[in-house]
Amino acid sequence: MGNKQTIFTPEQLDAYQDCTFFTRKEILRLFYRYRDLAPQLVPLDYTDKPDVTLPYELIGSMPELKDNPFRQRIAEVFSEDGEGNMTLDDFLDMFSVLSEMAPRDLKAYYAFKIYDFNNDDYICKSDLEKTVNKLTRNELTPEEVSLACDKVIDEADLDNDGKLSLEDFQHMIIRAPDFLSTFHIRI
Amino acid sequence: MSYHYNEAFENPDYHFSETLEIDRGRNSQKNRFSHQNPYDSSPNGSYREHSGRGQNYPPDIPMASMRHDSEYSQSLPRVAVLSRSPYGNCQDNLSFEPEPELAYSPPSTFHPLDRPYTRRLSGASEVSFIQRRNRRSADEIFVPSCSLSKTDQVYKEEAKLIGNLVSMSARERIKAIQKMPETMKKKREIRNKVRKEITKKSGSRRSQFDCCTQCLHRMAVSYRRFRNSLSEYFHQLQLWHKTLKIIGGKFGTGVLSYFVFLKWLLTFNIFSFLINFSFIAIPQFVAAEPNNLSFTGLELITGAGYFQETILYYGFYTNATISKTENGASYNMQLAYIFTVGIYFVICLFSLVFSMTKSFRRNFINPQAYSGNASKLLCTWDFNITNEKAVKLKQKNLSTQIKEALFEVNQEVLNFSLKERVVHIVIHLASWVASLGTAVVACAGVYFLSVNNLELFMKERKNDLESQAAMLVLPIVASLLNAFIPFFYSWLGLLEKFQNPRHQIYVTITRNIILKISIVGILCYYWLNIVAASESQCWETLVGQDIYRLVLVDFIFCLLGCFFGEFVRRIIGTTVYVSLGVPEFDIARNVLDLIYAQTLTWIGIFFSPLLPGIQMISFSIVFYVKKVSLMMNCQPPRKVWRAAQMTTFFIFLLFFPSLVGVLSVIAVTVWRLKPSKECGPFRGLSSMYAAISEWIETLKNYPGSEWVVWIYQNLFQSELFFFILSTLLLIITYLYWQIIEGRKTMVKLLRKQIINEGKDKMFLLEKLRALQMAKQNLSAPRRQDQKRSSASYHSSMQPAQHMPNYLERTFDRNQNASYDEFSYSPEILEGIGLPLDAETSRPSSRTGVSEALALALRARREAEREDEDDDKDFRP
Repeated sequence: MGNKQTIFTPEQLDAYQDCTFFTRKEILRLFYRYRDLAPQLVPLDYTDKPDVTLPYELIGSMPELKDNPFRQRIAEVFSEDGEGNMTLDDFLDMFSVLSEMAPRDLKAYYAFKIYDFNNDDYICKSDLEKTVNKLTRNELTPEEVSLACDKVIDEADLDNDGKLSLEDFQHMIIRAPDFLSTFHIRI
Repeated sequence: MSYHYNEAFENPDYHFSETLEIDRGRNSQKNRFSHQNPYDSSPNGSYREHSGRGQNYPPDIPMASMRHDSEYSQSLPRVAVLSRSPYGNCQDNLSFEPEPELAYSPPSTFHPLDRPYTRRLSGASEVSFIQRRNRRSADEIFVPSCSLSKTDQVYKEEAKLIGNLVSMSARERIKAIQKMPETMKKKREIRNKVRKEITKKSGSRRSQFDCCTQCLHRMAVSYRRFRNSLSEYFHQLQLWHKTLKIIGGKFGTGVLSYFVFLKWLLTFNIFSFLINFSFIAIPQFVAAEPNNLSFTGLELITGAGYFQETILYYGFYTNATISKTENGASYNMQLAYIFTVGIYFVICLFSLVFSMTKSFRRNFINPQAYSGNASKLLCTWDFNITNEKAVKLKQKNLSTQIKEALFEVNQEVLNFSLKERVVHIVIHLASWVASLGTAVVACAGVYFLSVNNLELFMKERKNDLESQAAMLVLPIVASLLNAFIPFFYSWLGLLEKFQNPRHQIYVTITRNIILKISIVGILCYYWLNIVAASESQCWETLVGQDIYRLVLVDFIFCLLGCFFGEFVRRIIGTTVYVSLGVPEFDIARNVLDLIYAQTLTWIGIFFSPLLPGIQMISFSIVFYVKKVSLMMNCQPPRKVWRAAQMTTFFIFLLFFPSLVGVLSVIAVTVWRLKPSKECGPFRGLSSMYAAISEWIETLKNYPGSEWVVWIYQNLFQSELFFFILSTLLLIITYLYWQIIEGRKTMVKLLRKQIINEGKDKMFLLEKLRALQMAKQNLSAPRRQDQKRSSASYHSSMQPAQHMPNYLERTFDRNQNASYDEFSYSPEILEGIGLPLDAETSRPSSRTGVSEALALALRARREAEREDEDDDKDFRP
């Protein structure tokens, strides 16, 4: 209990609790996970809000992300600078969204971001192709990939603009109940 | 023009998060290449500032609607809007993201009036580029020059948001903040502002109720702290967190759902054990009589002998009122027994109903059949998986699945001939007859065996080895049937050659359920109708022993199944028949086994109150054994397991045949059957329920407890009350049903509306394109003179040819839009009726264009207004 006070002030902890879906204990656990990535960079005292950012290489090497084909996208989407370099805040934010408690809409919003590789706020065919290639480790022929993507767009594109907007995506997610349990990383 | 903006910013709510900045960063990175524009070198300070701040201060919903207005005015022939009105200007910049192709305008076609426009674009894009590199200092670097209006606006929005948050209750507020798709920094900022606001409010009130509010506030804070620490302790109680994580990481959500289910059942059993132990077993210890039977060790398996005279079984419990001191409080064993079991079942019922409805609400929101190709791709990745091998396997499985899905589409065209169809139906019918036949035969076998067994037992009444072995025949046969008939069923499933593998799974599960239910059903019939009517000294104990043996043998079979079904199978699969491969973990079969075991335990609670304790131990052992066996022997299932829906289905199964069946068995036992005369807490009564009636009779003599008697007589015994209650329930159900029907039609209409809107959009765009083409054809010769001087422009290019191209691009725009396309952007600007050029060039064709444009824009705005309404649902 004692060292808890030296890492964060109670106010900081309260703030984190209000802004994420975590309890105090989980926040501390995540802090240690974050610190374990680079013990020499991250101080044990966060009361004066040190400006520490871990590079993507470290974040991506976490066991939870290491083998995830979307790790780079995840890190990019949740990092403040958009390049995967994360502060503790970003780190907590990421796992908060990926936690069990996060509501469907929030998860869907970030999942959409993750699949939107070119950041144009639409999942267009090229995004889908990238997704499929990541999902299948480039085992499909380009024709198959293209066919599969066309099918997806056909099915999920409600407003017929040839690509998936966030609304289309959310609409699809509602009908895929497994999404809630699969878009989830246990810490 | 307008759809150009909207393309990227259809949904303003989502664009103020930090992720937007990535967008900006990316796009501006692209812009670096197009920065040959000489006008780029004259950045406009005020524009810079807007886009910079715009990222940190979100435009909220009302702002978004204003944005459309400004957009509208901008694209209509009012050039001055840009420079004249700083207000519209700022807003515009808040949301406007420069398109790379627009930022580049070749010098040759550059019109003097274009100037502010281009400059603004390039300025903004440059800023966002700098910002990308240096986001933190953005606010300090760019000193605002027209910040007054902008920040005003932003503050208004934020104040509104904060106002909303302040008016919520503390809990809702936290939830709302947690739900925001924002960076932590922003969330914290909002939170702190809200808190300040609240303290300000309470501060102004403090003069009136100084002490009181402070006290309340302190209480609220300490209550919150207390709640937090409490939830932390509960989190600590979470068993096997790490194990579950490892399983999820290696085998994915499907297999994980089995273990979560097992854990959930385990908590049920722990809870029931604690209740039974503390309210039934401990008091019994106080009044226990000495046990004269000898303990040989074999009793552990048979549950008979020594255990007959222990608290394990119904028969041992006393019917006396236990009291330590003469006049002290007494403990009525009869009532304790009946109320403990009754309340436990009521709690079980409610918790099951709760988790079932919650699960249904979450997972069956939209019951309409959904082929789900899209979700198969986009929602399928299991972020739980962290193991490298598992990831590779999953990827491989996914690629075969996608291939299969593509293949299926091609195959659907193939229609079966009549003969083939008849053959299919006959095969299905035959296999159903075979499976139901096996179930019936199994039931009959179990029934005759048990009747035979009972006779044997009644005759001999000796404690020799032979009779004990005879006792074990029934549970072993039942477990054997349960273990091997499912294999027969899955073989039948293979034989049937289902088109859809999912159907095969469902049919096999259904058959297994029918088998298990009928076995349990026939056993219940045997216990209630034959054992209870037999001449036995204490039939409840006999039933308890039967159930004990069934549970135990089932547990042993589960372990054996792990060993033979998984371990030996793996060894065979890896050494002898390599083609067999490593076994997959069969989630459905394992879950059904769990449900079967839990059903037995529930039935047994009444006859053997400590059975949940035994089940608790066996479940924890099963957990570890299964985990080890899974890790050592199995590979993740190849088929996608719809974990969420299947879990819902299994919870429903646990509720419907299982718990409801158990409740009816218990009800029959309590109300109808005559308890045995010489043992158990209800000895001598006509039925177990008579204990309660007697208790009410005695309560009538106590003046303080009339209300209990009143409740009993007027609520529990009155038909009128139940009649009214059920009528009310029926009415409410009907009401809700009607509401659901209404919503269904509403959903249908809304869906149609979305599709129609998409069609409208297409239609208007078509029209627009036709008009543009007409216009382009008119103006083509004139413009080509200008083009010739441009180095970057391909002189051969006919603008008319490119228009379709361009329009297509708006639908399917992607990152690698070639720079070639930029070169005809001036035509686009012009063609769509950007006022600057058009006004001067051809007033004649302008009217038609702008009409179509106005139409298109209006349709767009309508659509967006609806979008925003939808978004409100998402926004806290």
